[in-house]
Amino acid sequence: MKLRVVLAVLLCTFSAANATEKVVTDYMLNCMGCHLDDGRGYALRGVPTLTGYMGNFLAVPGGREFLVQVPGSAQSDLTDAELATLLNWMLHAFSPDQIPTGFVPYSASEVAKLRHHPLVDVAGARAALVHQIEQKTARPK
Amino acid sequence: MKKFWFNKLDDVTELLLRQNARTGSRRSFLTNVGKSLLGIGALTVLPVLRGGASEAAAEKGDPNSCDYWRNCAIDGFLCGCCGGTNTSCPPGTTPSDITWIGTCLNPTDNRNYVISYNDCCGKSTCGSCGCQRDLNNTPVYRPQTSNHLNWCSGSQAGVPYHCSLSVVLGVKD
Repeated sequence: MKLRVVLAVLLCTFSAANATEKVVTDYMLNCMGCHLDDGRGYALRGVPTLTGYMGNFLAVPGGREFLVQVPGSAQSDLTDAELATLLNWMLHAFSPDQIPTGFVPYSASEVAKLRHHPLVDVAGARAALVHQIEQKTARPK
Repeated sequence: MKKFWFNKLDDVTELLLRQNARTGSRRSFLTNVGKSLLGIGALTVLPVLRGGASEAAAEKGDPNSCDYWRNCAIDGFLCGCCGGTNTSCPPGTTPSDITWIGTCLNPTDNRNYVISYNDCCGKSTCGSCGCQRDLNNTPVYRPQTSNHLNWCSGSQAGVPYHCSLSVVLGVKD
């Protein structure tokens, strides 16, 4: 999967003749600087990984909202529709195996509502969600 | 099992060589080998699209000049004047993994390109070809698009800043 994402980004990237796909450009300009080209993040400097993980947030209460409210999303220059498209793309590109069954893609109106309620304690909110995710994955099925 | 396959391979090779020896002359064999070598040589110079081809996208100007189109949003020293190039760090420095990414208009084709301004880190400031152009730069309270930050704080090498790159990542429009 990782290889496919890297190849997709490179293919979009290195074709001088064609414009890079809009959603990929939005990822480059708003996320890639820190989350890097394949979403692996940078643990050394506290940048969370998206690869094989991002979709886990959708499976715990508050996680779906968190992905929109996190400062990198909520405070970006993207419109509500662009942010919704980008989040949906990122989930499928970086974390398809973790997307719960029946996932309803983000819509512009949902994103508009959520990003107007910013997180006060971002690190605390994330830690609580990660704790829930860990408990969920550790629980025997 | 392995031995079986080696024996098979031996048999097939022998069969092919004997057949070749029966049907062709030594001179024609050499001719074919020569043609193959020539073909392989020619293949490598065919005009195929190679990775990084956009690096050779139509562009004019001196990368080591502050006016160069890719430098439209840079704040630092140009690595091409510091022992590296505008896409590779000088020896002894490490590129920052975390970086800021902006866009610049390429006047040659009038298109906006996505440019990654990775800093090269691990050595003290280069001091040559200082360049500050702040197109679309944002204040540091919007850090993801601010060029005033020392992006070396997001590298393996740590804080010492040496110079900045301008790498083409894609075509915006």
